[in-house]
Amino acid sequence: MRVLSGSRRRLTLGLAAVCLAIAGVAWYFYRHNPTYNLPYHDSFANGKAGEWKAFGGTWEVADGAMRNDSDERGAKLITGSPYWRNYSIEADVSLLGADGDAGVVIRSSDEEQGVDSYSGYYAGIRSLDNSLVLGRANHGWMEDVLKLSPVKPRGPLVYHLKLLAYDCQIVATATSASHNPVTESVTDKNCITSGRAGVRSYASGGVWRNVVIRPSSRQELAAMLEQGQQNNSATAKALFDRDHEVLGFNSPGPQRDMDKFHSSLNTQPISSLRLVSSAKPSKATVRGNVILTSPVVFIQDTTGGVSVPNPVASPLLKVGDQVEVTGSVDAGDFSSTLDRAMVRVLWEGTPVPPVTVTASQAATGDFDATFIEVEGRLHEKQYGPNNTLLLDLDDGSQSFRAIMNQGRGDALFGGLKPGSLLRLRGVSVVDPAFTHNLTPFILLLRSTDDVDVLAGPPWWSMGHLAALAIGFLLLALVVNFLYHRVENWRLRAVLEERERLAHEMHDTLAQSFAGIGFQLEAIRSGVPETFPVAHQQLNLASDLVRHSHEEARRSIATLRPDSHGPSDLLGALDICAKRMVEGGSVEVVSASTGDIVSIPLRITDTLYRIGQEAIANSVRHANATRLEISIEFDSGVVRLSIADNGIGFVQCRDLSGFGVRGMRKRAASISATIQIVSSEQGGTLVQTTAPLPARITFASWPKLLWHYLRRNTLHVELVGQPNPHSHR
Amino acid sequence: MLWEPEHGGAEAAGRKDDLWVYWNAPTREDDTAAQIALVERVTHGNYQGLVLAPDQALALMTPVRRAVERGVCTVIVGSPLSIPASDRLSYILNDDEEGGRMAARRVALLLHGKGSVGVIGINPNISGIMIRARSFESYLAENYPDIHIVEKRMGSFNVPHEQQVAEEMLRSNENLDVIVALMWPSVRGAISTIENEPGKLSTKVIGFDPDALPFEANSLDSVIVQNTREMGYQAVDMIAARLHGTPMPPLVKLGPVLVTRENVNSKEVGNLTSMDWSKSP
Repeated sequence: MRVLSGSRRRLTLGLAAVCLAIAGVAWYFYRHNPTYNLPYHDSFANGKAGEWKAFGGTWEVADGAMRNDSDERGAKLITGSPYWRNYSIEADVSLLGADGDAGVVIRSSDEEQGVDSYSGYYAGIRSLDNSLVLGRANHGWMEDVLKLSPVKPRGPLVYHLKLLAYDCQIVATATSASHNPVTESVTDKNCITSGRAGVRSYASGGVWRNVVIRPSSRQELAAMLEQGQQNNSATAKALFDRDHEVLGFNSPGPQRDMDKFHSSLNTQPISSLRLVSSAKPSKATVRGNVILTSPVVFIQDTTGGVSVPNPVASPLLKVGDQVEVTGSVDAGDFSSTLDRAMVRVLWEGTPVPPVTVTASQAATGDFDATFIEVEGRLHEKQYGPNNTLLLDLDDGSQSFRAIMNQGRGDALFGGLKPGSLLRLRGVSVVDPAFTHNLTPFILLLRSTDDVDVLAGPPWWSMGHLAALAIGFLLLALVVNFLYHRVENWRLRAVLEERERLAHEMHDTLAQSFAGIGFQLEAIRSGVPETFPVAHQQLNLASDLVRHSHEEARRSIATLRPDSHGPSDLLGALDICAKRMVEGGSVEVVSASTGDIVSIPLRITDTLYRIGQEAIANSVRHANATRLEISIEFDSGVVRLSIADNGIGFVQCRDLSGFGVRGMRKRAASISATIQIVSSEQGGTLVQTTAPLPARITFASWPKLLWHYLRRNTLHVELVGQPNPHSHR
Repeated sequence: MLWEPEHGGAEAAGRKDDLWVYWNAPTREDDTAAQIALVERVTHGNYQGLVLAPDQALALMTPVRRAVERGVCTVIVGSPLSIPASDRLSYILNDDEEGGRMAARRVALLLHGKGSVGVIGINPNISGIMIRARSFESYLAENYPDIHIVEKRMGSFNVPHEQQVAEEMLRSNENLDVIVALMWPSVRGAISTIENEPGKLSTKVIGFDPDALPFEANSLDSVIVQNTREMGYQAVDMIAARLHGTPMPPLVKLGPVLVTRENVNSKEVGNLTSMDWSKSP
């Protein structure tokens, strides 16, 4: 039966392991599926974009579209599975700048922040020469450009762009409302076979809508190529199926004739605006880089920053644009404002890097209206008005607040934990209109990508400490449970061994005694009555055998596991006493007091032996008429008392003759104390008090642990002390 | 001379109200971190009140806010912070607008309504200085249109730098009639520049917040002095009253005093500028 049960258990475990392995393999293949989570359609219209990851740029969801207001070169936003293979991505793309390009990425991997810091294919619309660009980046665009299209679609810079990859054929199509579709295609022999999808811009901002990614097929590829041949047959035919070749890349950087920028000669450093007269209105012109576009435009030059609220005439500004601003100066203590300003874009540039400062430095106002990077520990987070996210941070003696558009910050916001160490990049503002006089300064972040989590909250938070305490408690319970399990196993093994011994003794020794007795009876029956001496000797031998048989039976009874409960101990002693006084006039009384608890086997045995010896002494020597056997359960101890009303004995007498030495020895073996009180009138009392092992319970284990530690500590201290009784 | 009278006033009020006064300040007036550390010491110590003359308009906002949140009755003296007054936060400020007007009237008196002025020592870290600068400029523009501010320069607590600023200003404006120095290091820089070339420059200097009254220098025309003794006295008195349940007024403004050669030895000015804080005024 046990064998069957073990086999079933093993079978169950084996099946579970196989199921787990199958599930793991299935999950692996599911995640590595080249069409995992395809088709995909963006949720920009719902303001959701948590599945996208930014590498540079200022990516935000606005007006149902993904928008990058930065002129950063090579800003990317990536999503999807790295195992996607044959698929297409299409989107409606609008360019915000005049000198850059914007488009879509396919089969992307190894993305980092940087100009061409990824491996993959890119197709985009370049505003500089109105061309459709299709290329390959491998952390170096210059080395892996496939080709530039000579086709120059004119018209508004809003296109529907589609980029498809099937095997090693890459094809891109650009369509606009005012222009025929334009198609480019290449065959890349050493093509990148899989990767994520994304959107990207270069030296220009952009807006992406309706991003759709779906698996591609050979038929779809053929249809696109055929469409391309029809629309621009000469170009497509010439370029189609051309092998991967390195042609060199004409950087889409500024190629304009700089002479056509007629900037003002009366510009002044931004910091000088603070000294403009406050008594009379004055106008000023400054130049600088755009460092923030929303909620207020901020311009920064090497001397400081200025805010440009509500400009009367302004083109669509992007972070990084080099602009010239003319407006009425409102000089502030730490920075100024240009009201009713005219803003003119001189050229598009790369966003300025932040100045790294501490919160204490920023709190002096010296970096007002400046793009800074600062660290702080998150104190609180909350949703603000106008779809903003508010982060309250502390850094030493300073507190400050960071404000950002909700955009695609839901995922970030949800994951931020109070106590986390954050690094933030944004424009420092001390204007009370923003700070509400709550903090010395606030940070206006360009996007949620301006927040980096440097470290989570310290582990010794209240929650973690509580979890730790609960963990320790559970561990203690588990240890307690295991300890008792092991004790039970050990006890069971001892009992089984004792039972085996009892069986052995019963089957061998007891049977042998019975056989010997039977044989002696047979011999005695055969011996004539005329041999009285022989009869006497046989009777004596029979008595000895009977006595030995009785002893063997008693030992067997003692070894039986079902004979060692507390009540059994009392019963066994009662039986033992009644048997000894059988036929006499001694009255045997037995009683138990206190709450009965389980007594370990070793203690039961020892008490039985001591009790047996005491009863025997009383029966043999005391001439008693009453024998009382009692077991008392007290706090942590069990007390066995054997009392008689016999003649007693003199206390000073040597007690070894009564087996007292043996009793004391047995008592010492279980750390028990034995007390013998005797008087000539009052009989004899033999009282044995044995400590019971403490029971480890949920409530008692700390106390026991404390006693254990205290005992051990005390032991160490005693060991450490010099022994005053040692010889010199 | 600027803050020791305040110490005297605070000690006097402390003796009257049976309060012990702990008095300390950074060794440099622009050492904001040290002043923040002092505020935090008071905040976390066994103090019932705090009187603070802030060195920085913004950086002390958070420490003061934390002190108030911990129940420390706080009185800001001299120059304001941006935190609104509350049950435990009050302001006793120098009337810097009046100080600016006072300087403008003195300039007009010196120039008889016509001339050129340079302004140095503009320091946005101290709100009071910015208030007096704007007040001076607007009052001058409204009432004395023939007096022109030809140049304005930022200031610092570094005297050699302020001297360099004054030299540059006087080099580019040789006929400058008056320099208004909004902080004392700027006054010292301007006086040094003019006195180093005796007889060559006739520019007069009007200063604020003096550490001393060096009227032996001919170029120094006048100084405008805050009544810091009264600030200290009232501040400690208000804290004592607040501790006894009397609410503190949110704002008290004390007018500055124009000190010239004519009144420098008067009893009023002597009391105002006395640096002996060991006895009652």
